[in-house]
Amino acid sequence: MLKQISKKTILTLATVATLSGVLNAADLTDADEIVSKANLTSYYAANDGRSEARMLIKDSQGREQKRQFTILRRDRTDREDSPDTKRDGGEQDFLVVFSRPSDVRNTVFLVAKNPASDDDRWLYLPGLDLVKRISAGDKRTSFVGSHYFYEDVSGRALAEDTHRLIETDEQFYLIENLPINPQSVEFSRYTAWINKQTFLPEKIEYFDEGGELYRRVEVLASTQIQGYETVTKSRITDLRSGGSTTLEFRFQAYDLGMEQAVFTERSLRKPPREWLRRN
Amino acid sequence: MGSNKCSLFLSVLCCVVLLMSSANSYSASKLDDEDSWGDDAWGNEAEATEGLQLHGFIEGAVGTRFNTDDLLTDDDFTLAELRGRIETERFYSNSYVDDLRLSGKLDLYADGVDHGLQVDLREAVADFSLNSQVDIKAGHQVLTWGTGDLVFLNDLFAKDWVSFFSGRDDEYLKAPSTSFKASVYGDSANLDLVWTPVFTNDRFISGERFSYFSPLAASQQAAPSGKVNPDEPSKTFSNGEFAARLHGTAQILGVSSTEWALYGYRGFWKQPNAINSNNQPFYSPLISFGASLRSNVASGIGHAEISWYNGEDDQGDDPFLPNNQVRLLLGYEQELVSKLTLGVQYYSEHQLDYEALSSSDGGSIYRVDQHREMWTLRMTYRAMQDNLIMSWFSFYSPTDQDYYYRPSVKYRFNDELHLTVGGNIFGGEQRHTFFGQFEDASNMYARLRWNY
Repeated sequence: MLKQISKKTILTLATVATLSGVLNAADLTDADEIVSKANLTSYYAANDGRSEARMLIKDSQGREQKRQFTILRRDRTDREDSPDTKRDGGEQDFLVVFSRPSDVRNTVFLVAKNPASDDDRWLYLPGLDLVKRISAGDKRTSFVGSHYFYEDVSGRALAEDTHRLIETDEQFYLIENLPINPQSVEFSRYTAWINKQTFLPEKIEYFDEGGELYRRVEVLASTQIQGYETVTKSRITDLRSGGSTTLEFRFQAYDLGMEQAVFTERSLRKPPREWLRRN
Repeated sequence: MGSNKCSLFLSVLCCVVLLMSSANSYSASKLDDEDSWGDDAWGNEAEATEGLQLHGFIEGAVGTRFNTDDLLTDDDFTLAELRGRIETERFYSNSYVDDLRLSGKLDLYADGVDHGLQVDLREAVADFSLNSQVDIKAGHQVLTWGTGDLVFLNDLFAKDWVSFFSGRDDEYLKAPSTSFKASVYGDSANLDLVWTPVFTNDRFISGERFSYFSPLAASQQAAPSGKVNPDEPSKTFSNGEFAARLHGTAQILGVSSTEWALYGYRGFWKQPNAINSNNQPFYSPLISFGASLRSNVASGIGHAEISWYNGEDDQGDDPFLPNNQVRLLLGYEQELVSKLTLGVQYYSEHQLDYEALSSSDGGSIYRVDQHREMWTLRMTYRAMQDNLIMSWFSFYSPTDQDYYYRPSVKYRFNDELHLTVGGNIFGGEQRHTFFGQFEDASNMYARLRWNY
């Protein structure tokens, strides 16, 4: 009886698999193309955008800390300049202005992201009126005490890893990513579940040198904003310590028409209210 | 005195333990309530533009010398204060000014070293955009520029060395001045102009709280008899300070996004290192010019800065006036391994017209070296999700054979409560050198801050 059922089940599963294989003939098979689309979806929606964000950081003992900030982004290569979306995914700028907690209030962080070389990063400390430049090397360190890395906020250059499509199911492309320079990172590999419809990487799992899973990034909610699939809630869990950070986004808007001048030292010293406030 | 010190430390320790335990129980009670924000933090942005939001902190701080300073036997404490900070800002936008921001920061503190209630206005400033290319920031404010890490060449804005030496937060190294700053932003370069109508000197080591070495008296001096009471420049327009910085970003030496800057300053030496005919210290006039570069180098940040200090003593033969100098700084910082950042700087201070000085000062054994060199080392290690920051900063001069070590550990219990413990350790082969004279100022401190 048991054998019969399992045989039936296997047969059914096989049929479904075949059918879905037929149905999804449009599935992508090139891992580089998939990760490129995922990168554009995650970090390059429209030409520019703003969002308010807040983080809830929990340590292993459940103690909580919070961060609140507004993030502005602008792509240097406009979509209109390059209808071929593959040319998007290039240089872009981020400005992060903190409002909470009070000890980081008015601290401003500026990143000029250069996928082909090192990023340029600056931090403005209002108490000292100091514009501090931060080295590009430490991208995989905590972003303001959260479980997010600087690199999670601005995106990791695709060329830093090799990408391999290891599975395609109903919902996801499962991509395995291996670092080209393993010395520069704390992981040995990571796998990403990329939604086939939206191309959002809904889950990313990082493995250490011993092959053990230690870090998970999850999209908990997303929605369409001005036609762009946009994450509204995500979480990073440190599986070793049990700590996690939940990140929520609100008041997002795209294609506001920000100029390149918004992303300069001027905005570090005088955050651009025009773009920071909700309109 | 000894038991007094002991009980003060004990009471601070008790406060720490109490606050720690309350912080923990507070967090634990929220454990079950996943994703709780406590309040609607999203409202913050809208409120800030309409209502008055108050922020700040309350901080208790205590610091004590390792050894008694024989000249300041009543001052075993180098820091003993309860400080309250109130901050607020407001935004206005109308047809006359675009984005006017008013911001204020006021410190009130009960000072157990200077004995009394002190008021320190840190900021009272209005900033707004005059047009799409010009920003104005006017009022009482802290100003900083330049590339050095705790080493200043072209930054001739006021510093507070008393706070720095006694272990107050790094923020207090910069003293505010009442200044008018205009920033003009162009396509390829930007220009900052700062006018400080009334000369604002450094809060220097005057003999109160810390003693200093006087070459004139050939001995260590302290208040009351040895307190430095310099003559101030008269408050005329021409005695105002003018500082300028022309800066931009360009591809220099094959590295894109290299930041370059040219600096100019006209005012006075920020410390009273000149002596007039009445044997009175004063601030002698100073003009300086300089330049700096900062860029990504290898996997870190490299910076270089040079400045030329041109004072009143053009020939260098007046021993009562500081000679002209050329100052040079080279620095590099990078993450060594994950969470551990290392920064190294080389600094050199070259006295011009040194022969004229050495032939006119009567062969003073306290004469500064023609060439003073200094190395700084910064190591920062972040642990426990950045809640624990261990930091080491040291100045070491091979030419003066003296040093200044600044170890510190900062622990963040939560968003509100932070504890900092650290030291300021001075020493040297000779009693008269830059850091050597502060050997008896060596201290350790603890600060507990509650942010609101």
